[in-house]
Amino acid sequence: MQTPLATPVPVLRLPRGPDSLNRGFAPDGHRAPLKPEVPEVLEPPESRESQEQQARASLRERYLRSLLAMVGRQVCFTLHEGVQVIAHFGATDLDVANFYVSQLQTPIGVQAEALLRCNDIISYTFRP
Amino acid sequence: MAMRQTPLTCSGHTRPVVDLAFSGITPYGYFLISACKDGKPMLRQGDTGDWIGTFLGHKGAVWGATLNKDATKAATAAADFTAKVWDAVSGDELMTLAHKHIVKTVDFTQDSNYLLTGGQDKLLRIYDLNKPEAEPKEISGHTSGIKKALWCSEDKQILSADDKTVRLWDHATMTEVKSLNFNMSVSSMEYIPEGEILVITYGRSIAFHSAVSLDPIKSFEAPATINSASLHPEKEFLVAGGEDFKLYKYDYNSGEELESYKGHFGPIHCVRFSPDGELYASGSEDGTLRLWQTVVGKTYGLWKCVLPEEDSGELAKPKISFPETAEEELEEIAAENSDSIYSSTPEVKA
Repeated sequence: MQTPLATPVPVLRLPRGPDSLNRGFAPDGHRAPLKPEVPEVLEPPESRESQEQQARASLRERYLRSLLAMVGRQVCFTLHEGVQVIAHFGATDLDVANFYVSQLQTPIGVQAEALLRCNDIISYTFRP
Repeated sequence: MAMRQTPLTCSGHTRPVVDLAFSGITPYGYFLISACKDGKPMLRQGDTGDWIGTFLGHKGAVWGATLNKDATKAATAAADFTAKVWDAVSGDELMTLAHKHIVKTVDFTQDSNYLLTGGQDKLLRIYDLNKPEAEPKEISGHTSGIKKALWCSEDKQILSADDKTVRLWDHATMTEVKSLNFNMSVSSMEYIPEGEILVITYGRSIAFHSAVSLDPIKSFEAPATINSASLHPEKEFLVAGGEDFKLYKYDYNSGEELESYKGHFGPIHCVRFSPDGELYASGSEDGTLRLWQTVVGKTYGLWKCVLPEEDSGELAKPKISFPETAEEELEEIAAENSDSIYSSTPEVKA
């Protein structure tokens, strides 16, 4: 039904997720009416907002590709209190909140499989 | 050039999504509410899936959720033995309606004056939302827990489904008019006012009945157990999803399977077309909602059709070449989870 050469439909961005800080809804209690119809013509590329958005999009894409390049490789994580651990990177979850790693070398032994919370990671390095 | 469906994943729930409903089309667009076992139903913009707010207050899994036509009110049914009515603009809780058991289903009348509830106590209740202190009217007769209850025929009648029966009740006399029996568990029910069509799913069957007489119109068999199905507003297509994690799209007139999509990581519990028919939403055991285009490749909402010749500056293109393995992995991941990152164009592939 879907040929392997078919291109996925491009998307402007992903749906925005919940704000973890509050419950949301219109701040002043009123909804914003729909903006007037935007013309089909693309915004001029010189517009600052679209440039910034472009930059954000390409930076995020580069980061995600870097995560892909890391899969299966040995990565050295620097955690709090100067702790450094080495592990094979497996995957991350949707919000990049956790890293799934294997063969995690810790000061108290090698953990076959582990989840590292990104909140606990200060930095990580690897060689592609 | 053939286009491949890019579903939009709405994350945020932490447990299975068991019910979802769209509002009507309002001057502010249309909205989507999702019921989740984490007890926190969420309101989203219907055409983009953007989160708007979370209704906080239930103390148990939320089994049913609905919006009124103009999306000013929401109602939820939960395992904490209450149904709640909410202000869908501010997110404030307006009413808590105590029940004697788990509440599974809620539905507003067209004028939002009455709320119908049903649940494990096997009773249908009708609350007058202008008199919150008054006792609800009760309709008894079901012999097992009520899974879905809907107003129909311009709110003059009520349709309700329990495990093995679907019953039609007259609102004014509160008596049963007709019933249908099934030898398999009824998994879902949808009512289409234009044309008075009832969509019922049970086992692998997707059945269409007249909502007025309950007479059967037609039915289709899917490859797997179906938990929910929805008919397109123009009645050209229907979509269904169930235990094999896949979504199926059928031609309503011929019954031909047109498209099927993998993507969810768990059984699909609910699926609904948007009020304009341009997209459909699915809720799954995997805790996500996904939005799917009815016409793949059309520019709508967050989907932007770009012809292969155009080099639109809006879409990010890879600026660095990574080792071959990373790109292959990217393609594999893109094939299974095509919503996670923008995929490379055919020229880059090779």
